[in-house]
Amino acid sequence: MRSQTSALGSLLVAAAVLCVLPFILSDYHIYLAAEVGIFFIAVLGLNILTGYTGQISIGHGAFMMIGGYTTAVLSRDHHTNLVVTMLLAFAICFVVGLLVGLPALRLSGVYLALVTFALAVSLPQIPLQYSKFLGGSGGVQSSQTVSNLWVYVAAWSCSAILFVVAWLVLRGRVGRAFRAVRDSEIAAVASGVELPVYKTLAFGISAAYAGVAGSLFVLALNGFAQPSEFDVFLSLQILVGAAVAGLGSLWGILIGAAFVGLLPQVSTSVPVIGAQHGRDVIFGAAVILVMLLLPDGFAGLLRKIRRPARA
Amino acid sequence: MAMNRRKLAILIVGLLATAAVASTAGASRRSTPGVTSKQVTIGGTFPFTGPAALYKTIPAAELAFYAYVNAKYHGVHGRKIKDIALDDGYNPAQTVPDVKQLVEQDKVFAIVGSLGTAPGLSTWGYLNQHKVPQVLLATGDAYWGNCVHHPCQGSTKPWTMGWQPDYPGEAKLYAKYILAHKKNAKIGVLYQNDAFGKNYLAGLKTGLGAHKSQIVDAESYNVTDSGPVVQAHVVKIAQSGANAFVIFATPNAAITALATESAVPGWNPLTINSNVSANRIFMQIAGQHGASLNGVLSSTYVASQSAQPNLPGMKLAKKIIHQYAPALDQQFASGDNNLVYGLAVGWTFWDALKHAGKNPTRASLMRALRHMNETNNPFIYPGMVVRTSKKRTFPMEQLILEKWAGGAGGDWKTFGKVLNSGH
Repeated sequence: MRSQTSALGSLLVAAAVLCVLPFILSDYHIYLAAEVGIFFIAVLGLNILTGYTGQISIGHGAFMMIGGYTTAVLSRDHHTNLVVTMLLAFAICFVVGLLVGLPALRLSGVYLALVTFALAVSLPQIPLQYSKFLGGSGGVQSSQTVSNLWVYVAAWSCSAILFVVAWLVLRGRVGRAFRAVRDSEIAAVASGVELPVYKTLAFGISAAYAGVAGSLFVLALNGFAQPSEFDVFLSLQILVGAAVAGLGSLWGILIGAAFVGLLPQVSTSVPVIGAQHGRDVIFGAAVILVMLLLPDGFAGLLRKIRRPARA
Repeated sequence: MAMNRRKLAILIVGLLATAAVASTAGASRRSTPGVTSKQVTIGGTFPFTGPAALYKTIPAAELAFYAYVNAKYHGVHGRKIKDIALDDGYNPAQTVPDVKQLVEQDKVFAIVGSLGTAPGLSTWGYLNQHKVPQVLLATGDAYWGNCVHHPCQGSTKPWTMGWQPDYPGEAKLYAKYILAHKKNAKIGVLYQNDAFGKNYLAGLKTGLGAHKSQIVDAESYNVTDSGPVVQAHVVKIAQSGANAFVIFATPNAAITALATESAVPGWNPLTINSNVSANRIFMQIAGQHGASLNGVLSSTYVASQSAQPNLPGMKLAKKIIHQYAPALDQQFASGDNNLVYGLAVGWTFWDALKHAGKNPTRASLMRALRHMNETNNPFIYPGMVVRTSKKRTFPMEQLILEKWAGGAGGDWKTFGKVLNSGH
């Protein structure tokens, strides 16, 4: 009960801060805060998959791409309401996630990771092949563009909703089944957990989250979807975010999302020479440091602070 | 438990409501962003890294030019020009945050000289919406001139403007040359699979007119493709029996294509390399990789420091680079024409800013840019002009053909008259 109250307390604090931020930040910083919100959703989604069922994906950028193109194409061709396109991105990516989850039934660990990696590498080639419909490398421009504040509100509203959804899903039967799969597949099956259902379900949910994030990602890019926006680096960014975040902590995910959402922008402000290379180096160094010093991410660190190790 | 959930629901509703209120609040200020009594701040995005990083000397030359103007003429109307050049790695996902940073955080007056077609397309909607000039773009797509009065992607783009001659116009000149000198040529084309490459290809087809069936093979590659992929395309073109080979590619791929061409035994086509990759140092890199360059054809619109070192403009260029970007002296001496390009763009911006009035606004800058008659830009090819009017939305519409001579250590030699590449 005590941990429940403290969790609610953190939620309240986070929500209050997020509500106040738009009033004190400049328009540009609101945009950056929106980016953090977008990565919050993606990292949260990957957290469900990797953290709770132990399946690794290094291809979540591909799901973001599907979500992003869903929004851009629907807006371009049908002037669909942008919020509706987000819901559709969620649904489409859920289905695609289930499909990608199928190989997860036969593969595990590194092999599964490679499948998702292949997805992240190959998917950006698709628009180049079908350039009439998907715009080629010229990209797809949505018919409607939105303000920074719009993206901020949308990103953090979605974050809040999806966080609650994740909480509701994971605290009950499904969450227990996920954890059982992670800890021991054999034991899980022996206890009556239907492995195929829960493994693919986790992929579906996780992909759907990435889809919403992708949809918002494209809206933050002035509604412009283009293949090189979704390069492998994006997938790595989400993975790094999840690693920095650690498992099952709101604050951990916030820190992870802020780290990967803000770093590219911070690194371009560093003097002119090789800003992008600088970004890659910092990312790499950060991952190594986190893995060495905080194997459980910031979530683990926070737990340690709260509950000092028993002697 | 139920209590907790209700609290959560209230919380979320509160969050949404607050955010909705926030969305209606918005402040606006009146003075011209980026202009103070002492300084005009402009910005741009460039590939300092990534697949197009060979272009990174362009912004370096622009910075050097503004430093020169600031020192020698105290800038424009007493205001120094400050240019913030950010790296976008040729990736639109980075261009957008960069441009937002420039416009919203650094509060620049205008986006000047940004490089790349996809990066330009990813931000032109945003910049036009916010009425921020996006000008002198370092890309020759026809979009930048065609969409001033006619809607593109849903609206006109009056705040956007290119600088260099447009790609289709350039390609038309190549078509004319082929028809005049190799009437029954079988043409093979290598082009980048994007708006940039397709613009070129379309121009070539228009130029060939009824002869466009002479294109026996058109191969496209993607900007992120590795060398072997590009090589395979070139070999396929050779096998198609083409005896004219036209390259519409960014530098890395163009260098690979030139080297591969020479490696195919018995294949000696008439070779045309579009001017985006015709920089002397790119050609020399190709030469070092085994390309036999003699007779390769291209075109230019800026003066050459290596072929025309005695032009006053080239002497000035050398001086500016030496004084304000001494690290690039060697680059300049070896013939990096992109440095001259950067200086020329800087000159045009300086010129336009002078004509934008004592107290420039974004609108007055655009007015000046739309009414240019620049005959004295010392860095462009002698005899060419930078000119705009209500009707003429492409500032440069002239090119001169050039041919490579002297092998791997050689240089371009222009020939014939200055040609009109306009519409």
